Amino acid sequence: MVKIVLLVLLAEAVTVIGQILFKKSANSLERYSLRSNGARIRFLSEIFARPSLWLGFFAIVIGLVIWLIALAQGDLSLVFPIGSLQYIMILFLAHIFLGEKIDKMKFIGTFLVVFGIVLITTTH
Amino acid sequence: MKQNHLTLKIFSLIVLNDLVDTAAQLFMKKGLLHTGIDSVNLSNIAEFAARNASSAFLWLGIFVYALNFFIWIVVLYKVDLSIAMPVGSFSYIFIPIFAILFLHEHVNMVRWIGIICIILGIHFVSQSKKPIMKEEKANQWLR
Repeated sequence: MVKIVLLVLLAEAVTVIGQILFKKSANSLERYSLRSNGARIRFLSEIFARPSLWLGFFAIVIGLVIWLIALAQGDLSLVFPIGSLQYIMILFLAHIFLGEKIDKMKFIGTFLVVFGIVLITTTH
Repeated sequence: MKQNHLTLKIFSLIVLNDLVDTAAQLFMKKGLLHTGIDSVNLSNIAEFAARNASSAFLWLGIFVYALNFFIWIVVLYKVDLSIAMPVGSFSYIFIPIFAILFLHEHVNMVRWIGIICIILGIHFVSQSKKPIMKEEKANQWLR
């Protein structure tokens, strides 16, 4: 049980790091309007050249593998509610590493989403 | 200066991302339903993978899943991660609804309450319109 919880938390942490790296690579691009095909192609070619994007992919794949190992061993009604903690991790880690602001609305909303996911995933 | 708050266009993109994600999940689930293996463990995981490798629905699911990355990266380009992630929890609402319609699963009262909580939560998060702060300082962390 403790092992499953730790595995899920590890999977979520690694996935969240992957998402932060994705966002980091998106933030580092110059501003395209994405209205023309030329701009879209330049946007994609620029972002796929970012090491942080590939590092993010790598982290997300590792996170998925750990997640599947946890899923294979634990009950869905345990794994999914704990998994929803990733939204809280994102809230704080995006503040620390990306400088994204936490305001009251975002805080309340994030906890409501997590509560809703816990309700959906703990019952049969 | 770049936009960090949620516009209707970006909101629609996130919903599209969730719809595509839901479709991918359902395709994968449908692909995995007819394998005839009840539980997967270390001893039969190779057989499990081999039986599923020929499932067209599974590959369709994986393909759609990969396509969805392109929508997600455009979303991240336009809006804060800590807004995009909770708003992206729409799939928790779509999946039960589509699971009722297409997989004939049952959704009880507590789950409906959960769905309402998520909708309220998404509403609150999408009200968050504060601009990004101290980005230059934060960027030092990961450069």
